[in-house]
Amino acid sequence: MKMWVYIVRRILLLIPVIIGVMTITFAITSALPIQDRLISAIGFSKNGYSQYISCAVLHNNASETGQCQNPAYYQGVHMLGLDQPIEVQYLKYLYNALTLQWGFTATHSPASSVIGTNQIPVAQVLSWYLPFTLELAAISLAIILLLAIPIGNYSAVYRNRPLDQGARILSFSGFALPGFILAYLVLLGATFAAGSGHLECGGTSSPYFDFTGSWPQPGCFAGGVFPSWIGAHQQSTPTGFPTIDAALHGNWWLAGDTVFRLLLPAFVIAYGSIAAILRFVRNSMLEVLNMDFVRTARAKGVSEAGVVRKHAGRNSLNVTVTVLGLTFAGFISGFPIIEEVFNLRGIGLILALSIQPPYDFGLIFGSTLLFTIIVVTANILVDIVYGFLDPRVRLG
Amino acid sequence: MATPVPIPGASPSEKGRRPNPRVAQFQRTWYFLSRNTLAMIGLVILVCFIFIAVYSFFYHASSTQLEYYCGSYTGPFSGGTSNATQGCNNICTYPSNQAPPGPNCYAVDPNYEGFVPPTWDLTHLSLGPLPLGSLATTNSPYFFSIYQGEVKGAPWSLGISAGIVLSGAGLGLLLGSIAGYSGGYVDEGIMRVTDVFLSIPGLLLILVLLAAVGSSFKTFNGRIGILMLAFIITWWPIYTRIVRGQVLVTREQKYVEASKASGAGWPRLLGRHIIPNSLFPIFVQISLDVGVIPLLLGAIVFLGFQIFPSPYFPEWGSVSALAIRLIPQLLSTCTLNLGAGSCVVPWWQLLFPGLTIFLFAIAVNFLSDGLRDALDPRLRR
Repeated sequence: MKMWVYIVRRILLLIPVIIGVMTITFAITSALPIQDRLISAIGFSKNGYSQYISCAVLHNNASETGQCQNPAYYQGVHMLGLDQPIEVQYLKYLYNALTLQWGFTATHSPASSVIGTNQIPVAQVLSWYLPFTLELAAISLAIILLLAIPIGNYSAVYRNRPLDQGARILSFSGFALPGFILAYLVLLGATFAAGSGHLECGGTSSPYFDFTGSWPQPGCFAGGVFPSWIGAHQQSTPTGFPTIDAALHGNWWLAGDTVFRLLLPAFVIAYGSIAAILRFVRNSMLEVLNMDFVRTARAKGVSEAGVVRKHAGRNSLNVTVTVLGLTFAGFISGFPIIEEVFNLRGIGLILALSIQPPYDFGLIFGSTLLFTIIVVTANILVDIVYGFLDPRVRLG
Repeated sequence: MATPVPIPGASPSEKGRRPNPRVAQFQRTWYFLSRNTLAMIGLVILVCFIFIAVYSFFYHASSTQLEYYCGSYTGPFSGGTSNATQGCNNICTYPSNQAPPGPNCYAVDPNYEGFVPPTWDLTHLSLGPLPLGSLATTNSPYFFSIYQGEVKGAPWSLGISAGIVLSGAGLGLLLGSIAGYSGGYVDEGIMRVTDVFLSIPGLLLILVLLAAVGSSFKTFNGRIGILMLAFIITWWPIYTRIVRGQVLVTREQKYVEASKASGAGWPRLLGRHIIPNSLFPIFVQISLDVGVIPLLLGAIVFLGFQIFPSPYFPEWGSVSALAIRLIPQLLSTCTLNLGAGSCVVPWWQLLFPGLTIFLFAIAVNFLSDGLRDALDPRLRR
């Protein structure tokens, strides 16, 4: 099979998966109380959104008795199209999602209060918040790869020796600690280590703020305000990626500070997910080291370092790439916690906030779709890389 | 390792008959497992946790809600004076910069009256309260006992984790073996559904499911049950994928072919040959996942979602999430210019809940690694 045929086939296989994810999201969110939906989309109403309320309250006439239909409920349901048949709602939802019309953020929700504004297009909010998450993911992935591959290879070479045991225990410990505890331990350490040497922004703030938040406190800047190219809701222009934008604007201090702010969370994420990858690198390296071609290489007189680095190391990479793809979903799902602890404005935080009642339905749909697309794209990339690394995969 | 011990079941016994192969395999596995130090450490820790879980049924405290405690000390942050009337267990405390009012009183930080440190003085235990220190969630006179949370949390954590993982694995085993064995459209269908569930963010699926159907479960056990169900729904696809991969390999083996040739039907092929021989990779995955569930529960509670029937639920993850809730508040007010004492961190509150979860997860991990090595003939040497 040609490489491009393989790629196209993999991409076509995605369509049912994405539609399935959207169907499930639609199904479970339509089971949520309609009241929450109306509050989220329209805002609070004087008489609430229960379907029936007492007539005395509705007509402001204490002598009336009995239950009346609540006009606010019926108007809201009609406005959102919830009175249409479920299949019509579903098709409309699919059409809107596929044309990137993900609706608007809620009027009152925890997410809107963090974003700082409401009733703006969901796609726009996600485009503000996605770059932070991508930068964080890139840095933590780099840390994982830089540590896991060499350590895994040498663990296999020095199997059951102190280096191997030490590496395993260290990586296990990252896996066994909850991310939020590890993150706060790191933050505690950093706050105390910074001590009096920290940048005193206005002289009062705690060094804690040197390590959290996407941007530094405005007080830390010359002039006490953010540069004008950082917009009102912390989106940066023109690329949206904070570090790149700061560098493009020649503000090297801010670029350095932004990377520095991403290093601690990236380290926490990497430490938490390195164990699984390390284990697979070690096992695949062990398997490869027992193969015939390694023995042949040794017999030919290739140096031990050459055998480990070139002959065995390259061949054990296949499995590592596969595992990276498999763990990517788990890796990304740790982001809400880390972004919450470090107060980073990323997609994970948005997802976690949008599920808090009253729900932000637009953001739930949008961020779920975005998460899914990120995960499946990572899987496809992995498959393609795997296809390049191991020709048997695409030929078979 | 010094003296060569014969491997059990490897050679015929004195009577010249081989022992039952299943018993022999179990003996062999145990033999290799018992030579693995890390696995044995893990096993010992796990047994201790099981003992704690049993002990918790004899520990007189509520197992559905952590009990409120409050210090008798009235310092700068105190809301009222007579704590005993506010429905909390009163404990004698005093500011550490003052003289103790009497014996068996705890010295607490002058600025934080809820910060009761752990004590090694056993006379305090006779009073019954706080051997592992207090669990303060806000700067108020109310706090909880970490000891009570850990002890009462043991059966909940162990039970919920085991229940979720075993049911998820059972479902995955069923679907995975059907998909792997039948192939064709059935396989495609099951695996696409699996892909869908693997691609949805698990956090979203769990929380929205709980919000959507959780309100119709009013009873305590019902709420726990629906929580477990939500986790199982996010958990089975991993097992389905692993089992299917393994079944695809196993069904091509010679012994399966031989069994088929001698006329075995598909129930026998699956039940006697394919499933037993595809089991051990999910065995490892099960033991890995059991350790992860308290971490996940803690993470969800930490994000501020009330997934448990009561707000202060004795479960390890929940306790550690409650314990950490105070830390950002402390850190953000922790200014360095105010001198010593302005950065008080209740270390016990981070240490003990974290250590419990950590030990549990790491014990399960060590044991699963040992099991993998003992069960896979290629890995033992």
